[in-house]
Amino acid sequence: MERWLGGREPGATISAGKTCELAISWWSDRLDPDWRPRPSDESQAILDRLGLVGEFWRLP
Amino acid sequence: MIERDRQLRNLTYRRFVELGRAPSLAELAGELGIEPDDLAASWRRLHDEHALVLDPDGEIRMAAPFSAVLTPYGVRAAGRSWFANCAWDAFGVCAALGTDGEISSACPDCGEPIEIAFREGRADPDEHVVHLLVPAARWWDDIAFT
Repeated sequence: MERWLGGREPGATISAGKTCELAISWWSDRLDPDWRPRPSDESQAILDRLGLVGEFWRLP
Repeated sequence: MIERDRQLRNLTYRRFVELGRAPSLAELAGELGIEPDDLAASWRRLHDEHALVLDPDGEIRMAAPFSAVLTPYGVRAAGRSWFANCAWDAFGVCAALGTDGEISSACPDCGEPIEIAFREGRADPDEHVVHLLVPAARWWDDIAFT
């Protein structure tokens, strides 16, 4: 990871499994015929529920 | 979000999936029987609201998790091949389509090919990791880089 970062500030590393969980929670509604924009607090709740917490995961 | 924009966003996504690629502005406006300038204005508002991402020519660049351009994140799902915007979105393509899929990518460090299946909501294998470089607060500063 350090080699790939090449001196850049590291971000967050998550497993493929966690990425999968995140994708399901985040994207499953995108093709719903009644899709509506998700409020930021609901997006933040998804991250929190998956344990993606801390400053890195704090939405604006 | 204006209700008409929401409807056009949903139509754009639906057409993307039907075609297996992004519809062009002229194509979709023609199909809907509306003025291209009206659709362009709607897409621009949707872009500004982060519901779509346009390229400099005003065409679809991303209908996340789908990418309208070739990326290192290929997905085979629902009988088609797709491109996702990132590893997160690659799983997202399967999640959005509600189907299993196969993801093909490569390690961004060493270039080793990576094949991961998305089966019943799980990654197989689960040995790989994903690194997100940009903090959530800055994801939309440059969404293509993110």
